[in-house]
This record gives sequence, structure tokens and C-alpha cells, in this order.
Amino acid sequence: MNAALPASLLSRRSLLRTAGLAGAALMVPLSGCGAPPAAQNGVTTLRFMQNKPEVVDHFNEVIKDFEALNPDIRVVQDFNEGNFVPGLVRNDPPDVVTRGFAQATADFVKKGIFADLSDMPVAKTIDPKMQELVNSWGQYNGTETSALPFSLAAAGVIYNRDIFEAQGVSVPTTWDGFVAACEKFKAAGIAPIYGTYKDPWTLAQGMFDYAAGGALDVGEFFTKLNAKGAKITKDAPESFANSFGPALPKMLQLASFSQNGAASKNYADGNAAFAKGQAAMYLQGPWALSQLVAANKNIRLGSFPLPVTNNPEDTKARVNVDMALSITRNTPNMAAAQRFVNYLLEPSVVNTYNEKNAAFSPLTDAPAVSNPQISGLNAAVQEARYFQGAVTYFPPSVPVNNYIQSFVYSKNGEQFLAALDDEWRRVAERTAV
Amino acid sequence: MTTTSRVAQTAPPAGPNNPTSAAGTVRSKSRIDPTYYWMVVPVLALFAFFITLPALVGVFFSLTNYAGYGDWKFIGLMNYVNIFKDPAVLQSYIFTFVFALTTTVVVNVVALAIALGLNAKIKWRTGIRTVFFIPMVLSALIVSFVFNYLFSNTLPVLAERFGVTPLATSILANENLAWLAIVLVTVWQAAPGATIIYLAGLQSVPSEVYEAADLDGAGSFRQFLSLTLPLILGYLVINVILGFKGFLGTYEIIVGLTGGGPGMATQSVAMRIFSGFTGGDYSYQMANAVIYFLITLLISVIQLRLIQRRGVSL
Repeated sequence: MNAALPASLLSRRSLLRTAGLAGAALMVPLSGCGAPPAAQNGVTTLRFMQNKPEVVDHFNEVIKDFEALNPDIRVVQDFNEGNFVPGLVRNDPPDVVTRGFAQATADFVKKGIFADLSDMPVAKTIDPKMQELVNSWGQYNGTETSALPFSLAAAGVIYNRDIFEAQGVSVPTTWDGFVAACEKFKAAGIAPIYGTYKDPWTLAQGMFDYAAGGALDVGEFFTKLNAKGAKITKDAPESFANSFGPALPKMLQLASFSQNGAASKNYADGNAAFAKGQAAMYLQGPWALSQLVAANKNIRLGSFPLPVTNNPEDTKARVNVDMALSITRNTPNMAAAQRFVNYLLEPSVVNTYNEKNAAFSPLTDAPAVSNPQISGLNAAVQEARYFQGAVTYFPPSVPVNNYIQSFVYSKNGEQFLAALDDEWRRVAERTAV
Repeated sequence: MTTTSRVAQTAPPAGPNNPTSAAGTVRSKSRIDPTYYWMVVPVLALFAFFITLPALVGVFFSLTNYAGYGDWKFIGLMNYVNIFKDPAVLQSYIFTFVFALTTTVVVNVVALAIALGLNAKIKWRTGIRTVFFIPMVLSALIVSFVFNYLFSNTLPVLAERFGVTPLATSILANENLAWLAIVLVTVWQAAPGATIIYLAGLQSVPSEVYEAADLDGAGSFRQFLSLTLPLILGYLVINVILGFKGFLGTYEIIVGLTGGGPGMATQSVAMRIFSGFTGGDYSYQMANAVIYFLITLLISVIQLRLIQRRGVSL
């Protein structure tokens, strides 16, 4: 290649040179991107990031109504939640955000990402017990309200009403009654519970959270554990090993009522099979309902909270704040953002959304849910007999779902709880500094 | 990448900067055609900007407690100290190295066997070659999703029908066997690439040596062991090195097959590192990435020394 280039290649050389320049030029515009859209002609543009891609159309309608009432505000919906952290890094986050409220969002709260909403009049209309679900994760400066619940998802046991009626089984209210019902289905050759062990999250939100939530006060446990910080030892009374023990045998009993071959089934398989009536019960939340109906529009479904003790008063539902409204602290459009949040929490808007999406409204005077698919959870939600799933308290760096899956396969509870204690301590140690 | 097997290794490469060819006639800088710089410099700049610079930023943040956003401060080498105390990270290293070693061996055995078959004068050779190379053009993620379905649904049904009880539940759900499924799919996907390199190697072997061996009465196994293998040793080394390096970074096939499960059984190092981005564990996993980079660098250096002794240049 070191021979002199023939003259005929000259044109090609200049071409290469151009290509090289073009390559260098590619790097120049990188510094110029990311300028925020400014207000034009007195119209303020709000960016609204919501965390549920399946309800984009619904929110487009809501936004249209809002814009008709507020011609000086334009709202742009962004349903790609993955943009949120990059937005923070660029210091250009959306103005109004909805997020599922759990550990990850609580971390943002601790870093002071969100504005204080406690002074907004609409905050008084929220059920204080539901607001407590948000506040229990920790408040910025100890008193601020960083998020207002918008939609509460309550999960229990989804059951096939036709199979229950055919076998003459009524909804169980005690653990013994639940076990008896499972035995009856088994004797009739029906799988009592459809298990989808291949997707570890289904084990985590289902049998682990339900059994743990029924057996101990999960919220209090994690409050004490967090208070201990990095100083937690394995034999401390606050440890997993000393608190979660009673829940594990019940988990394994739930696992024993699953169909054969549950280990090779994932969530999508489970939805398809349960919709076909291949099992009587399904340990899933309301998010599965629309999938089940999509697979079989004639299926008659109901939900009930899983009784984990023999006292019906103790029976609790697993809830999560599926959508919580926040305004980012540094937004230049605070007044407009507050008007939008106010509008979203008007009873007609928030109640309609929750009624349509098999969820519970956070407003104190919201009407009882009429949807027969989730009405079985009404009493538990209204009496505040609920808990937030234990797995939602874990920092995302602990692969807790995988540990739960391991436990269901190996049935070694001691090892499982010791592993959780170790992981928790290691994360606490390295985030404490 | 240029490859020279031991027989073909003759003239040293001559270039403008080669001291042997430049002896006597020292070239001045002005005589180097600037086109070469236009070819190299933009790529170098892009590489530095998009690879080297982010890597250095990552090294910097591995010395902090940065979560990926928000406040941070320097914590010295604490992340590195904690990594060595973390059995989950250690387990991912063991899994990754056992996986990479096994897969490298299996891929090379399979690819060499296929290459020998495809190099022989068999019927429909071109057609069969095409069939063998199809896995290479398919995306690894799609391949693994297809195999996931086969392992989880098709195979158990077949096994049940024919009474093979151990296979009646998916091997992906078995903590002790799931990694074998990953090896199998990786081999299926990676063997064609290695086969191409072996085919090139086999075609560079002159047929005269086999004729001579035939006259000497050597059997085909003896011919393979004493002629073919030494003559394509350079290609073998290349395949082993490229393969091993690739398998150490294994990610998408595991995501498609097991997602790191069942339990923690198939978490590769790359998956652990990537979990830091979503898990608010950015600086900790950056420290993990730095350690992993140093380990792979060490392996590469050792391999490069071995190559140079074999007379192959990458």
C-alpha cells in the first residue's frame, strides 16, 4: 500500500477527504441539542410524563378537555417513562409527572426532585390513608408532600366465577377455608392456582407479597429496618430471618396448589391458560384483567383479598399507588403545572379514570367501585385493610424476585432469608457512605 | 485483521513507517499522503469521544457514590472493596468464566467438524453451506426467544409423549441445567462465524501435502492430526481468542432465554453491570466494570503474547 497513488485516484482522494471532513463535522452539532421549548404567544407548554403506555388515548382526551378550558396552556404527553432519568441528568425534566410510587420514586423524593404540593387545596380532598401510602416512604425535609396519589391498584386473588359456582365453592374468608377450597378443586381435577414461575416478578407480587403482607406488618418492618441503616446484623430482631419465617410455609403451600409444570410458564402463558379456564384462581392484580378478557371475552372474573390467617378481620389486599402526581421542583411553569394537577384531581376526571381502569380513586368521597371484577376488594380498600408489597420496598439493585424464585424451587427458607439479609446489609453499607 | 499461517509467513509487512524498509531512504513527513490521516483521524476522534471518554467518566464515577442522578461525593475505593465482599458478584464471575470456557471449546469443536465436512467434496455443498450460515444472520435476541419457546413448550410436550421424564419440565427452569441451554443456543449462533474462518484456513492448505501423506500411507485421522491441525493452527488461535472475548461479554442470549434466572443461576457479569444503570447502583457497578475491564485486558495481553509466538497477527 506504500506505492504512490496513480493520478486517476486523485478524484477518489478528494472524495475521501470530504468524507473525513464530514466525519469531523458530525461531532460539531452534538453540543447544540437539548434546548427547551419556550413559551410562544402567551401559551405555556407543559410536558406531562405519564407512566402507563396503555392509557395514552385516555389522557389525550383528558388533555383535550383541559386545553379547551385553559386556552393559555398546551400539554404535551410523553408516555416513555425511560426518559425521566435522562431528563434529570440534562436538567430538563418534564413539568408534571405520574409515577408508580415505590422505592425508586421514593429515591427521587429523597433527592428533592419534586415540588411540595401540601399547600394545594386539592391535596385536602385525598384520602389521608392513601396519602400515607406515599408519605410512608419518607418525606423531603420531613414534612413535604412530593406526590399526590391518582390511582390505587388493589391486588388479590383473581378467580373464575364459573368454576367456583360449578364446584359450589364460595369466596373463602379464612386461610383454612382457602386451603379447603384448593383441596376441593384439586379433587375435582382442576388446578387450584395457575402458577407462572418463569417470570420471577409474578412469584414476588403474588405468593410472596400476599403471604408476607398477611403474616406481618410489612410497612412497619421496613421502617424499622431502614432506621437501622447499615448497622443491621443477621440475628437482630429487625432482620428478615427473624421476621419473615412464618410467611414461608404458607408460600410453599400456595406453590403446592399450582398446576404441574408451572416452572416453564410465563405471565403471557398464564393469562392465556387462565382465560381458557385451566385453573380456578390466579394470584395477579388488576393489570391482568384486561388481558384475560381480551383472550376470552365471556370469562366471568372476580377478585378477593387472600386470607392468610383464620381471622377474617386480618385479611388484607396488596395495594400499590399505581400513579402518583408530582410536579418537578425546578419547573419554570409552576402555576400552569398546578392548574393541570388540580384539573386531573377533579372528581369527574380522577374517578372516571379509575372506574375505567379497574382501579380505586384516592378521593375521600369517591363512590364505591361497581366493577364486578374488583368489587370483591372494596371492603378491604375502604377499611384501609391493605399493605404495600414487600418487594416494592427493596432497592432495585437487589434482585429480590430472583431470590424468591430460587426459594420456591429449592424450598430452603433459611438460605433465602439469610441471602436477603446479606444483600440488604451490603446495599445499606455502600449507600450509607 | 490479517492472518498468516506458519507456512505462509514470509515477507515482513512493508510500510512507510517500517524501520527496515526505510533504512537509508528516510522519508520526510511531508511525503506521507495526507489521505491516510483523513482516514484515521475522524475515526480516532469519534472513538475517543464515544468510547474512551465515557469509559474514563465511568472510571471517575466508580470512585464516588453517584446513583446516576442527583448528588454525589467521593468515597475513594469503597466500591472496589465492597465488590470483593459481594458473593453475588463473585458468582456472576464464576458463571461467566465457566460459560465462556465451555462455549469456546464446544464452538471450536463443532465449527471445525462442520468446516471439515463442508470442505470435503460432498453433494449439494453450496446449499448445505448456506443452511449452516443462516444462524449467523439472525439476531441473537430473536434466536434466543425462539429457543426459549422450544425449551419451555415444545420440548416438554415431546418429552412427555415419549416418556423422557427428566425433560418434561423446561431445562430453563432448572438451576443446574439452565446454563447448558444457554451454551447450546450460543454455540448454535456462534459456530457459523467460526466455521467460515476454519473454511478459509482449510482452503489455504495445499492439496499436495495430502497427496504426499496418502503415498506415505497415513490414515485420514492421522492426516488431520499431523497435517490439517498444525497447518490451520493460526485460525484456531484466532477463533479461540475472538470467541472467548465475545463470550465473556455474553448478554442478549441470556436475557432472551432465562433473564439471569432461575434464581441467580445465570447472571453474567455484563448483566450485573448493566443492572447498575436501572438500579441506582451506577457507581458500584462501574467499579465492577473497571475490574472486569482489567481482567479481560490481562487475558487479552496473555493471548496476544501467545499469538505472537504462533506468528499470527491480529
